[in-house]
Amino acid sequence: MNHRPFEDWLLDDQLLNPAQKRELDTHLRTCNACSAIAESNLALRSARVVGPAPGFAARFQERLVVARRAQRRRTLLGTLFFSLGGLLLMALFTGPILISVVGSPAEWISTMVRSLLFIYTTTMAVAEAGSVIFRVLPGFMPPFVWLVLISTLSGLGLLWSVSIWRLMRRPQGVQA
Amino acid sequence: MNEEQTWILQAKNGNDEAFTYIVETYQTPVYNLCYRMLGHAESAEDAAQETFLRAYQHLHRYDIKRSFATWLLSIAAHYCIDRLRKRKLPVFSVDEDEETTFQIPDAQALHPEGEAVRGEHREQVHDLVQTLDTTDRAAIVMRYWYEFSEKEIAEALNLTVSAVKSRLHRARKQLGKTWQESSTPAHVERSPYESPAF
Repeated sequence: MNHRPFEDWLLDDQLLNPAQKRELDTHLRTCNACSAIAESNLALRSARVVGPAPGFAARFQERLVVARRAQRRRTLLGTLFFSLGGLLLMALFTGPILISVVGSPAEWISTMVRSLLFIYTTTMAVAEAGSVIFRVLPGFMPPFVWLVLISTLSGLGLLWSVSIWRLMRRPQGVQA
Repeated sequence: MNEEQTWILQAKNGNDEAFTYIVETYQTPVYNLCYRMLGHAESAEDAAQETFLRAYQHLHRYDIKRSFATWLLSIAAHYCIDRLRKRKLPVFSVDEDEETTFQIPDAQALHPEGEAVRGEHREQVHDLVQTLDTTDRAAIVMRYWYEFSEKEIAEALNLTVSAVKSRLHRARKQLGKTWQESSTPAHVERSPYESPAF
């Protein structure tokens, strides 16, 4: 028998029957490469397990205390930073408005009323136009167009759900 | 539910004593993996501590139905792989590690020469593993020290089973080649095929 199957038996760590073991032993006496693989395999299987120095758990407790303290400090600093940042942004955006309100309240109120009226009338007009289109459109569209439209929307909905599910899924253990 | 799962659940609920029990139970397997991956006692201690810290911080993500050892060693292996990638070049220590220091034969030992040879072979196995690519190294350590199946290694290292098989095949070939180059006979530290590191 040639060298290849013996090497594969060793490299794939295959379970051998007694006859195969005898064949392998005979081969190992003459093949240095296979013999080296077998020896390195044996050396690894017999290598000892190394443990930490005594007091590992106590050292971990100390590290945990330090980590918790650092975490608390980060949380506090983060809260302070975002609170102050938010307050600053609010002051920047609301400052000019507050100044104008305090300066001339009547003009500010009339501008607000005009804006609200504009938003209201625009919304009503769009809603009216939309309802007309929805009443008229079904008559122009053949059934197969509806079929395609519904299928496409279902597909997109499914794709969206799958995407959300994949984003929410947490791989185990390795995300640190 | 077994005793270990009870401890894990208690630790998940914020019981520090339960987590200390977990640390005490798994300190040796985690440290051994870090040591075999990184090659130095000091780095291994730091990596093992960091592994437990990360496990503590992410314990809520652990699925109680799966093996805790696989989950924990997965954190350790990924941390060591990241650390080795950042380190880029492998560093072999000769002074900070009891494993790699020169072993002085014990005059009181029954066979002082045998003690020195054992130390030499320990170092040889240690250096042998250090020649491997980082992920191959993790797969080999999990296979030989923890007797993980290919499926378990795949789960721990986020690989497919066929990728694990291929990595183990390649790593064994390289180890054989390196062993042949060093051409020193094998020595048994732990009886072959005996119980794993747990």
